[in-house]
Amino acid sequence: MAALLEIARNNAALIAVLAPFVGAALAALAPAGRWACLAAMAAATIAAVAACDLAARALTMAAAPPVAESGLALRLDGVGVFIGALVATLGALIAWASPAFVTRAPQTPYAVALFLLALTGWIASAYAGDLVTLHLAFALASVATVAAAALGAERDRAALSAALRLLIAAGVAGAVLTIGVALIARAGGGASFVSLAHAQLSAPGAGGVGYGLAFGALAMMAGVAPLNLWTAAFYGRGAALAVAAFGALGVAALLGALTRLAAYAVVAPALGEGVSRALLALGLASVAIGSVQAVGARDLRRLAAYAAAAQAGCVLIAVAMGSPAGFAAALVQIFALAIAALALTIAAPPHGALEALDGLGRRAPFASLALTAGALSLMGAPLTLGFLGRWRLIEAGVGGGWWWAAGAVIFASLSAVFYGGRLIERIYFRRASVAHERVHEPWRVFLAPALVVAFAGVLMGADPSMLLRAADNASRFLTGAAP
Amino acid sequence: MAPAHVLQLAVLAGALALLALGASMAFTSANVLKRLVGVAIAHVGALTGALGLGAPATLALGGAGALLATLALGAAIAVRLQEGYGAVEGPEIDAADQYDEPPDEPL
Repeated sequence: MAALLEIARNNAALIAVLAPFVGAALAALAPAGRWACLAAMAAATIAAVAACDLAARALTMAAAPPVAESGLALRLDGVGVFIGALVATLGALIAWASPAFVTRAPQTPYAVALFLLALTGWIASAYAGDLVTLHLAFALASVATVAAAALGAERDRAALSAALRLLIAAGVAGAVLTIGVALIARAGGGASFVSLAHAQLSAPGAGGVGYGLAFGALAMMAGVAPLNLWTAAFYGRGAALAVAAFGALGVAALLGALTRLAAYAVVAPALGEGVSRALLALGLASVAIGSVQAVGARDLRRLAAYAAAAQAGCVLIAVAMGSPAGFAAALVQIFALAIAALALTIAAPPHGALEALDGLGRRAPFASLALTAGALSLMGAPLTLGFLGRWRLIEAGVGGGWWWAAGAVIFASLSAVFYGGRLIERIYFRRASVAHERVHEPWRVFLAPALVVAFAGVLMGADPSMLLRAADNASRFLTGAAP
Repeated sequence: MAPAHVLQLAVLAGALALLALGASMAFTSANVLKRLVGVAIAHVGALTGALGLGAPATLALGGAGALLATLALGAAIAVRLQEGYGAVEGPEIDAADQYDEPPDEPL
């Protein structure tokens, strides 16, 4: 038994990737939605346990554990194990909430199977050993997410146009990423992360263009403003399971990949400054545009999309600093963003208009609690993860002489106070309209994951030592080498 | 400058032009099928550029596979859009969606 456990631990990364893949096959073969959900719960839980064990070992010793030969190009580094554990854990939470999205429609098992396929891609992206694997992982995840979003057309035909928006954005981003990867590989002498870490760029110009294209592609897929023209339609009208999965897992995986790639890019002396400036410009634009868009949103899920763009901007600003403190702040910020997005998307009422939130505190107290926690985290209220992420960003900025970065963070927080506060005001201080008064919370039991996430967010904000230690250790072996 | 290098630069420039053309077509065309064609053109440009740069074969093969999956899925969505909306023109679909749900407040 101990020997088997040791083998499993040595192959933890492979298990984390393959468990949801096998689960997807089982879910697709399931005769009914409930069996597909059971397969999803089992597969995603196995992946989460493997990924968390891997992260615990790697982040405790601040060095990558050995990876067994598997045939897949995997590589463990600080950002990868941190993001892999985050994505796998949130994926398990969504899988446990999946019965809330299940209907008696015959395509339900396929929706669950597609969610697991997307989860496979997002976890694989965190452990990818080279840029080609990273590219293919995101291609798998985006195609599966589009298909899952389109399955929502049985309830609302607008899910089709929502899925199409993501398909077009992901298709173009995939093409841009292809040529970006080719340019990076050409300049660095290979596409593997090992070669990038030790690259003496033979053609810095080509490498710079390649990194720029790759960052642009990842930012477009993650919904970073102003490249987020597709996100409002997708979040607002896509199938609920697909939106919750993409909003929390996909965005975290994409921002994690961007952070990871930046960590390798800043090592190259010829590129470091240019990469920093480009990410900084994109980050500032995303904070400003995303915040303004969120203020004008009239739909909860669209608001979540715009708020995510603003938070993603903070992540890019942190990454642009290029220091270990900046990367650690980015990881905490990604963690906070994923938790808030999950709470907001998974607990959103079926009708996403803000008017549907009026009086929700009395009609659906559990959902309201999760939504409130998500809103407070967006606002950066003390004792929440959002506050922690921004505090670390300000610390890193001040430490690096970037005083004005604090101004961008404060602007993002003030905007979030407006739109997050508006959510709380509607939930607890308004009366429900006649149209929404009869809508009650239909799935109390399966709301548990959202509540767990909300409470975890509050608890981690109150006692963040474990998260901060993990983020600090992850940033200390960004490129897989011991400090 | 060696002729091979000039040829490689020309291939790369052409590939980037195709990529830009396809991307602009994908984002600005009103017709859903034209948008999918734009995605295909962008991918063809990217793959041409990648092959011209001597990128790993797995990248080209994976990119081609991703393109096929994207086009197949896009075609299926286009068929369902025609069934659901009676149109594959973006403005008509957007108008129907706005009738179902008004957009966000203008900023």
